[in-house]
Amino acid sequence: MTDIVLELSNVTKRFGNFTAVDHLSFKLNRGRILGFLGPNGAGKTTTLRMLLGILPPDEGTMAVLGRDVTKVRQRTGYLPEERGLYKRMRADAAIAYIATLKGMKRTDAFARARTLLADFGLDEFARVRIEGLSKGMAQKVQLLAAVAHDPEFVILDEPFSGLDPVNQTEVEAYVRALATQGKTILFSTHTMQHAERLCDEIVVIAKGRKLFDGTVDAARALFPRRAHVGADADLSFLRQVPGVLQATPPALGESHWTLEMVEGADGRAVLAACFAKGVPLTYFDFAPPSLHDVFVSLVERTP
Amino acid sequence: MRLSFLIARQEFIKYITRRGFFISILMFPVWIAIVILIPQWTGGSPQRFFTIVDRAGGYREAILDALTREDAERELTTLSAYVRANVDGDKLRATAPALADMFDRPQSTRSITALDALGGWKGALHKLAAFRKPAARLFHPPTPRFVYVEPPATLAQARQVGAAARPFLESGRFYAVLLVPKDFGAGGRYTAEYFASDQSDRELRAFLADALSAALQRRVLDRVAPALADSDALDVAASVESRNPVKGNSLTGRAETFDSLVPIALAVILFIVSVMNASVLLQGVVEEKSSRMIEVLLSCATPREITSGKLVGVILVALVTVTIWASALFGLMALADASTVSLVFGAMRSVATLDTLPLLLLFFFCGLLIYGSVFLAIGSMATSLADAQSLLGPAMLILMLPNLMISGIMHDPNGELASIISWVPFYTPFFMMLRIASHPPAVQLWGTATLAIATTAFMIWWTGRIFAKHVLTTERPPTLRGLVKRGVQLVTRRRD
Repeated sequence: MTDIVLELSNVTKRFGNFTAVDHLSFKLNRGRILGFLGPNGAGKTTTLRMLLGILPPDEGTMAVLGRDVTKVRQRTGYLPEERGLYKRMRADAAIAYIATLKGMKRTDAFARARTLLADFGLDEFARVRIEGLSKGMAQKVQLLAAVAHDPEFVILDEPFSGLDPVNQTEVEAYVRALATQGKTILFSTHTMQHAERLCDEIVVIAKGRKLFDGTVDAARALFPRRAHVGADADLSFLRQVPGVLQATPPALGESHWTLEMVEGADGRAVLAACFAKGVPLTYFDFAPPSLHDVFVSLVERTP
Repeated sequence: MRLSFLIARQEFIKYITRRGFFISILMFPVWIAIVILIPQWTGGSPQRFFTIVDRAGGYREAILDALTREDAERELTTLSAYVRANVDGDKLRATAPALADMFDRPQSTRSITALDALGGWKGALHKLAAFRKPAARLFHPPTPRFVYVEPPATLAQARQVGAAARPFLESGRFYAVLLVPKDFGAGGRYTAEYFASDQSDRELRAFLADALSAALQRRVLDRVAPALADSDALDVAASVESRNPVKGNSLTGRAETFDSLVPIALAVILFIVSVMNASVLLQGVVEEKSSRMIEVLLSCATPREITSGKLVGVILVALVTVTIWASALFGLMALADASTVSLVFGAMRSVATLDTLPLLLLFFFCGLLIYGSVFLAIGSMATSLADAQSLLGPAMLILMLPNLMISGIMHDPNGELASIISWVPFYTPFFMMLRIASHPPAVQLWGTATLAIATTAFMIWWTGRIFAKHVLTTERPPTLRGLVKRGVQLVTRRRD
């Protein structure tokens, strides 16, 4: 059994003169969670549709579970961004229907649907029509429909959409549990906090091209660590502190100076310099760049 | 195959559990009840009250004699139909042949006289008591079509009958007033005057004209051969028996009418069921696009599996619809007139013989699939119901064309027009269903059957391509020019 579940090599997709995906390549190993990130119109949906075998690539090759994507439909699961269920179907029937399309027997699919609903505390809603469920409940039912047939590779498009924070935590835990069971997960999201918490790896694309492919830590490492320092004084003297590359005064509406630090620099040197100058600090933060910052910086740099 | 079956099953359940399906299922019997039962319960055609101002003399009595005969003939015709459905005919013929003969020839003077001698329909029913079937129903005599009322003095003595008749006509007391002028029948003048505010119903006027003609002929006969005029020899009614050599020289009559109506009904039902169910199919695809359910389906099955599943689902819904409608129709016909049910069954047997039934079913299914494919293709190209409507309008105009040609085709089912238009691929199933009972030439029958199969196969294939190409697009539907261009591209290219 190969460890590489997903492999794209120079995949390109054009619609007329518009190139939606431009020579995209990345790999994903079994049991890993990959965040597929990109701004609107980056080519995420087109890529997901190619991964599902809905659209063929114009150039390049792609393999899911070592085979042509159209040959492994029954071993993949898919959660679309919103409302991908028949409104008038009952919750258990909706899950069972997708599971039967993915190869399960009808009776097994219904049994599995009820088990999954019970695991999510939705057993009393099993016979309720989708249109009668709250948005959060419907989203959970949709997630269960995507995994009821026990797929090896799951594609989740905005799985946290419409969920309140409690339900988001619950779904996050479920996605982690799926990965623990050995399932490989690719999910597309705009919410960087989810990607930061869940993903082992991320791929960032913009305008159809890959900007980054690697772990979250590697992404953070692309950009220097920053310290944010607040004081009612001019802190330009901090430029002289060893390890500080640049000190930028607060922008309009902000109250903190931003210090760009060299890799491995120690924040205590900054604190010591302020103490030596007798400058009382109102704020100090010395954390690696957030994924949000990395994402914005990467996308903004795209020509 | 399995995926197509699963999708077909889901489509079937989805459509038959919709409120709209139940409403359409119920609407049809209600509609039929309005058409069939209400006229029966209200006594069929309305009664017309009329009067006669007979200035010539003797014609009023002649018209009243004709009226008595008309009522008796209608009564006997209705009674004959009742006897066919509710009386053991063989036993009646063996035991009381004269009585059986009376019901076999309800239009003859002898039969009418015999009924009168029995004491009218009550006396006849009394005689039939021994022959009635166990589940025989009650007999309802027909109400007279025309009722004579003596003219009031103001009308009878009026100088201007038309002006005097006006208040009576406007108040509805009389439907019509007939003036037989003083010189009627003399000096070559044979024109009476018929006053009516509603001239749309010509039955009364025709009846009065026939009665006056018969009276004039009688008067001439009285003059030239008085001995013959009193004889019964002239009181005969000729009848022409219609026989069809194709059907073993059997006698034809009312059943013949149903023989021609059944194909029309089948073709019209094909159209109604196709449009009704296929438009739901269109709506379903548009909804699936907007909810992104279509992406989930496409992640499970190929476009061709999805389209074929959807089309099979629609066929199943159509079959259920037709079955329920047919049951409701026969139930209502049995309520209205049990003899009609056996006539319609007879007509269906004559239309759908062992030779034609497979072709009839083939044309029906091909028609459903062709129309369904058109609607599915439209649904896959539309991004909203409003977009779908804009494409649906022209498509409906094209699909409705055969309905406008029904009477022309049925007038001459094997004529030049019918023979040519049956080869137009979109319309082949519809027109061949209309024509199949008229025994079109074998070349046309088998040629159009092949054409229908080829068209259906092409439409399913083409719809699969259109579906695959457009179902995920969110752009506006293409223009007519673009549509034709893309259609040609899809046919000529193997892959995009």
